[in-house]
Amino acid sequence: MKKAGRRLIVVFWAMVLSGLAFSTFLHSDEELHKVWAVKDVKIVRPAGPALEKATIVIRDGLFEAVGVGLPVPPDAEVIDGSNLTAYPGLIDGLGQSLLKLPEEKFDMAKFYSGEYTDKDKGITPDLRAYDYVNLTKSVFEKYYRYGFTAAQVMPDRGILTGRSSIFCLSDPDRAKALLLKDTCLGIGFNSPRVMVYPSSLMGIYAYLKQVFQDSAYFKMNESRWLKDMTGIKRPAYNSHFENLADYASGKKPVIFLCRNQHDIRRALNLAAEFKLNFVICDLGNEASAVIPELKKAKARVLCTVGFKAPVTSLYSQRGKAEREKAEKEVYPKNPAKLAEAGIPVAFSSLGTDDPKSFMEGILKAVEAGLPSDKALAALSVNPAAFFGLDKALGTIEPGKIANLILAEGDILVKEAKVKYAFAEGKKFELKEVKAKEGEKPTVNVTGKWEFTLAQAGFKFTIDFTQEEAALSGKMISPFGAFDFTGGVVSASDISFEMTISAGGQEIDLYFSATVEGDTMRGTVVQGTAGSDEFTAKRIPG
Amino acid sequence: MKKYWILSLAGLLILGLSATGYAAEKSLLLKNANIITASGENIAGGDILIQGTKIVRVGKNLPAGLDIEVIDLAGRWVMPGIIDSHSHIAVEGDVNEMGDLMTSEVDVRDVINPEDVNIYYALTGGVTSIHTMHGSANPIGGKGIVLKMRWGKSAQEMIFQGAPLTSKWALGENPKQTNFQGPGRARYPKSRMGVEAAIRKEFELAKDYARQWKDYEKKLEVSQNSKGKIPAPLPPKKDNRLEGIADILNGKLWVRCHAYQSEEMLSIMRLCQEYGVKLVCFEHGLEGYRITNELVKYGVAISTFADSWAYKWEAYNTMPQAAALAAKRGVLVAINSDDPERMRHLFNDAAKTVRFGGMSEAEAIKTLTINPAKIMGIDRWVGTIEAGKDADLAVFNRHPLDPYTVCMLTMVDGKVYFDRARYLDDRKKGEEEKKKKEAEAKTPKEKKNGAEV
Repeated sequence: MKKAGRRLIVVFWAMVLSGLAFSTFLHSDEELHKVWAVKDVKIVRPAGPALEKATIVIRDGLFEAVGVGLPVPPDAEVIDGSNLTAYPGLIDGLGQSLLKLPEEKFDMAKFYSGEYTDKDKGITPDLRAYDYVNLTKSVFEKYYRYGFTAAQVMPDRGILTGRSSIFCLSDPDRAKALLLKDTCLGIGFNSPRVMVYPSSLMGIYAYLKQVFQDSAYFKMNESRWLKDMTGIKRPAYNSHFENLADYASGKKPVIFLCRNQHDIRRALNLAAEFKLNFVICDLGNEASAVIPELKKAKARVLCTVGFKAPVTSLYSQRGKAEREKAEKEVYPKNPAKLAEAGIPVAFSSLGTDDPKSFMEGILKAVEAGLPSDKALAALSVNPAAFFGLDKALGTIEPGKIANLILAEGDILVKEAKVKYAFAEGKKFELKEVKAKEGEKPTVNVTGKWEFTLAQAGFKFTIDFTQEEAALSGKMISPFGAFDFTGGVVSASDISFEMTISAGGQEIDLYFSATVEGDTMRGTVVQGTAGSDEFTAKRIPG
Repeated sequence: MKKYWILSLAGLLILGLSATGYAAEKSLLLKNANIITASGENIAGGDILIQGTKIVRVGKNLPAGLDIEVIDLAGRWVMPGIIDSHSHIAVEGDVNEMGDLMTSEVDVRDVINPEDVNIYYALTGGVTSIHTMHGSANPIGGKGIVLKMRWGKSAQEMIFQGAPLTSKWALGENPKQTNFQGPGRARYPKSRMGVEAAIRKEFELAKDYARQWKDYEKKLEVSQNSKGKIPAPLPPKKDNRLEGIADILNGKLWVRCHAYQSEEMLSIMRLCQEYGVKLVCFEHGLEGYRITNELVKYGVAISTFADSWAYKWEAYNTMPQAAALAAKRGVLVAINSDDPERMRHLFNDAAKTVRFGGMSEAEAIKTLTINPAKIMGIDRWVGTIEAGKDADLAVFNRHPLDPYTVCMLTMVDGKVYFDRARYLDDRKKGEEEKKKKEAEAKTPKEKKNGAEV
């Protein structure tokens, strides 16, 4: 039996390496239970008072019934919500971390020839987030831990940065997870740093004006030609103009990625001149400096929460001490000021590293005066409304997608714990990292380790971060880099799980090992494909 | 070295910055000043009466009233606010659009950074208006703009209303890119003749563009009159670059042309005359003293440095006396900064033309005031101390051309935007407060340590 298992895993890794792996073993628990009832739960709503002792029924990915004193359907699995608070699943209004764009190596030959492509210039309206999104269960878990169950993803590099998609964090299969595709077009004011037009901020502004005009002109000519092909010269096809047309005509929203308040003014000017349907993404946290203009333009704002002062700000020009002081005292007040002025605000994770730091930033904004109901609105109903999903997301209401968070305590106050996350009706239980019974760690594995699989003879690296008993890390393998969290260290034993994607498949791996100094020895299990033994050595340095 | 100096100054200015821009609610009377009017005779022990944003009277022993706030200048020197006709401050992002040869579609108005601390530094040197524009990478570049140094106001509010928009051109080494050499930067033209040919070609393109629109309008009219029999023609594609060139050809934009050498200046003057282009000024124009007759004939000014001779080969053939000589021959001359640091002591630069070129003091003051005002098309409002003009003033402790002079107070639109005494006072207070805070931060810690012991 053991031998057969070993043979299987050798075959498995061989298939992974050749890109042919199939994952027949990827059954998840959530597929088996499709009806849930959360009983006696407190429901927090973005508007209006909380509902106490309510029942939430979820069926086939949607909220079926929500209210006080509702009967529990006989086929439902019941969750006791008496110590829990229910929130609509939070939405990251605009992020980048789910996106894995191919790494662009700059070709020095271009530098010498001066022949740059539109990609080099940062003009990539053809770039679709949908094509490059990287959804994995381990990433989902990180989002769930801080209450997020949906996110908009958009390339953010360059001038016409690309087109966004909005995903429900419910399935690693992007086709199933997708809510809306090619939703927004990103517009940035970043010069490409190569000597090619437009290379300066003023050039970018002029370019944007011209390209909006050109795309409208192209569409006008094209439609005239399609209407009557006689006597009219047809326009030359241009994929940029084609992709831009719906945005240039205000049919679809653009997102302006504004690095400071001056970018916001520029964006408002462009939006007014071309009558754009637009959202401001306030990367510089300075939107509160232009409140009258934003109100006049009826602008919607995506607030980021990195709270770094832009280089153009006076604080930055006055030196490090002033800048740091402002980053602590002035910039975190930005969302509160906007909300107070009645400007519709949502949160964007751009400028933060991960869901953890994103939520930390949001809590900073709450501490700096943003009322928690407005913060919740900025994470639920507002982003849903900004991007046309208000009928499907943002509140816990019958008929909406069952994105739900059950937490101990208030998630918009520090130290709340998300216990369960439902993404499109799929339940995910967030285990507490330290709650597992175990002994105090006697080892610290923080650092890089080289793993060798005994049977497959396959090598990869894992970079561990150990904080007391909690273990997280990143695997660097020939298929790419994969993160994991939620690992546990007990005495000198470690265990962790991760999902990797290889050969177009999601593969769950369960590692367990015993550490001895700078070496470890253990087993990796891959569902029904069997297991393999491994050894690992600490890489010095 | 320069950078460190700027940084330390930035640190010192922290408090002073917030204290500026206080306004005179009532009428304001500046008394007992030595007034350098830049329009006529200087007035020793004179007064200036300001109402709102304007100077209403200039003279001796002007009566004070109950509703008039009086500032006794006690013999200090007042001159018209200094006007810097060639500057690149308050421009956000790259100061050059290097990506293309002709960039008449770019506009500095789109990238004004009103938070650039150099605006405040300008005020500390008595500067009240500037012409800010992009660099000299393009034979025909983008649009420049005149700003008033209304520190603390928005970009829109800083724009000098009524001032004509400018078009920045460049001849010589920069557009032919000897100064931008490097891999991947090969760009036509590579010679001075190429630069001029490129400009001529662009003019022809713009003329053709205008012709296409005219044809279209004619055809459109025919179509409209045919009552649907003749279909409406397709309009030509709107090209913002060629529209910028068209605005140059129709005189809407005032051309400011970066040039050093006399031959290229002569040549471009002829070209501009041929096409009816409003060429108002050569930027730098270091060899302008050699072609003064032509400059006067074509009515072209020079906006130049007081020194900076021979720092690159196209600047060899000039001399310390150049600005003074050109002025003596009737050329309109402005002394400019081209640099945020030099901007703070332009009065020293004007003094150099007196010391080295033998220019009269009155003429030297004009190179910083009414002359640049004329070049920038704002002389109706600023540049002299006269009734009816904007109350843009700079107050000095000594004659502004004195090597030891210090600018004490700068006023824009009748509002004090820089007051050295107040600034120094604020700085002192700030330092004291900082010390106090530091002391407070130390005290509880010591106590805690004491308790632990």
